[in-house]
Amino acid sequence: MSSLMDYMEAYKLLGKYGIKALRASYVLNSGEAVKFSNGKPIVMKLISDKALHKSKSGLVKLNLSSAEDIKSAYDELVKRGQGLKPYKILVQDQVSNGTEIIIGGNTDPQFGKLILLGLGGIYVEVFKDVSVRVCPITEYDASEMIDNLKSKKIIAADDKNEEIVKNLLIKVSKFLVQNEGITELDLNPIILHDGTYDAVDLRLMKG
Amino acid sequence: MGKYYNLDNMLKPKSVAIIGASQNPEKVGHIIMQNYFNVGYSGDIYPVNASALKDTSILGKKAFKSVLDIKRQIDLAVIAIPAKFVLQALEECGKAKVKSVIIVSSGFSEVGDAALQDKLVEVAKRYELPVLGPNCLGVMDLRSRVDTMFLPTFKIDKPSIGGVSFASQSGAVGSTVLDLISHENFGLSKFISYGNAMVIDEADILNYLGHDPDTKVIIFYIEGVKRGKKFIEVAKEVTKLKPVIIIKGGITPAGSSAAHSHTASLAGSYAAYEAVFEQYGFIQAKSLDEMLYYAKIFVAQPLTTKKRVAIITNGGGVGVLAADSLYLNGLDMAELSDEAKKALRKVMPPIVNMSMPMDMAGDADDKRFGAAIDVLSKDPEVDALMIISLFQTPGADSRVASTIIKYGTEINKPIVVVSPGGSYAEVHNNMMESSGVPVYPSPEDAAKALAALVKYAKYKQRNEKVGKAAKKK
Repeated sequence: MSSLMDYMEAYKLLGKYGIKALRASYVLNSGEAVKFSNGKPIVMKLISDKALHKSKSGLVKLNLSSAEDIKSAYDELVKRGQGLKPYKILVQDQVSNGTEIIIGGNTDPQFGKLILLGLGGIYVEVFKDVSVRVCPITEYDASEMIDNLKSKKIIAADDKNEEIVKNLLIKVSKFLVQNEGITELDLNPIILHDGTYDAVDLRLMKG
Repeated sequence: MGKYYNLDNMLKPKSVAIIGASQNPEKVGHIIMQNYFNVGYSGDIYPVNASALKDTSILGKKAFKSVLDIKRQIDLAVIAIPAKFVLQALEECGKAKVKSVIIVSSGFSEVGDAALQDKLVEVAKRYELPVLGPNCLGVMDLRSRVDTMFLPTFKIDKPSIGGVSFASQSGAVGSTVLDLISHENFGLSKFISYGNAMVIDEADILNYLGHDPDTKVIIFYIEGVKRGKKFIEVAKEVTKLKPVIIIKGGITPAGSSAAHSHTASLAGSYAAYEAVFEQYGFIQAKSLDEMLYYAKIFVAQPLTTKKRVAIITNGGGVGVLAADSLYLNGLDMAELSDEAKKALRKVMPPIVNMSMPMDMAGDADDKRFGAAIDVLSKDPEVDALMIISLFQTPGADSRVASTIIKYGTEINKPIVVVSPGGSYAEVHNNMMESSGVPVYPSPEDAAKALAALVKYAKYKQRNEKVGKAAKKK
């Protein structure tokens, strides 16, 4: 039976492979969240095994910076969380606007680890415009994965973004190969912005 | 190569025992034995039948009760008896030191009896026996005149001898495609129907055909593979050596209900196969027609990594469709060099425009075709040629076909011909194809084949470079 890895554990593990996620922390009360924010905008999420699609079910609160906003968002998530126990509340830096992509991993019973790239966020399920390769991938494979997408020009709008996505694919491939026990992975979305990227949501399944 | 089974004993046996050979012409064993005679097999044939008496003979050959009674070297035993007797027959093959075995019989894992099949695997491993099947048609090698198929010869046409080898998990797809191939003008080298892949599996077969000097092109029908990682390992090597055209049956939808993540539902089993095909240089066909269309270009035409295609036609409309189909398949239309234009201007009538696609008009005869092909074959701005020869037009006749053949076999750029039509066109299409010039019924099919050729050529070039760079280090 597979289980979801704890968010912060996943955050740290991916960090070891140079896969960068937004600064994040669990909070136990709204005061901790205000402290995390320190006046800057943050995102607050309810994390529960029972909720796969956070943005669809209103379990993500965006762009909170004042203490009042943070407190009311916290209270609302706690209320919603009653039916989703056990849950945790996570705060993250508010991400800048940018292009959302998904990078995923799966385990095929025959061929082993697979890696996937597609346009992220809500679009991935609508358009199913994804490319898949068997791990480990070469640099050429990574380029081809981008090239094969209909949304290529959105994802790799410029050389810089293309380079970021390519490097990220190779890192994720390496991560998947070296971590046999991780059977599925979703980095969705990863936001490409201002010449850099942030993984906003992480889901790692242990086999 | 040591890790994989060598199938030489199976495909080029000097002696064959047919277990289940029978005097009854309706029995599979009888048909198989009869086929050996029909194809002119020159090795020794030993019929084996459990109810054989001392003086029983089957189709004129002395029959044996068991392979153990033959007391001579057996390169191949073909087992065609009911499932419940197979285990014992296989054990006897092991004891008799038979070099290879094909189990034609069905009634094992494909009908849910995995336990019986597991027992067979145990025996095969114990005697280190290369076993093909069960639940398969076996093999056919036209050069060594071996045919273990149990299909009566009147029901299926036999292909001519050539450079394409065909492996099929499914016996039904196998025999159907063989029948189709026999009407193609490229010939067959080897056919391997491997059924349940109990011992010899896809990786072994790909490896064997990959290293077989008589095989120039491989076509492979699979539903699934047994050892994914091994299959990839072999594919990496073999697709660099020769083109492997693959078609996958049983495209199952990903079980999204069971998936825990977006990725699991999007990167399901079929996505994995597509990834493998894409990544390791397979040429993926989506239909049996496509498979044959690809086979005929790869077996006869040179590769090119560049994709500027010149189109000449004796009918304007089809030329326009051809231009569209190049674009839709990621190919480019060639732009002729000034020298080429000048040379063509001299030989073409004034009504012919020098732009692509070049419409040589309905009265274009062999001289016009010849002059155009000659110029284009020398133009460095042209990488491949698509020749549309509509045999319904007044100028096109056998001389046009002969001219295309002459150039199609001489020049070092790939040529595809588009020639739709009825019986008159058909005669000429056969002439051209028998000489190695692939002919397609539509520009779309021709463009798809060219695109596959270019894609494979690029894969090969890229991986040869990688290989060389690695060696230097």
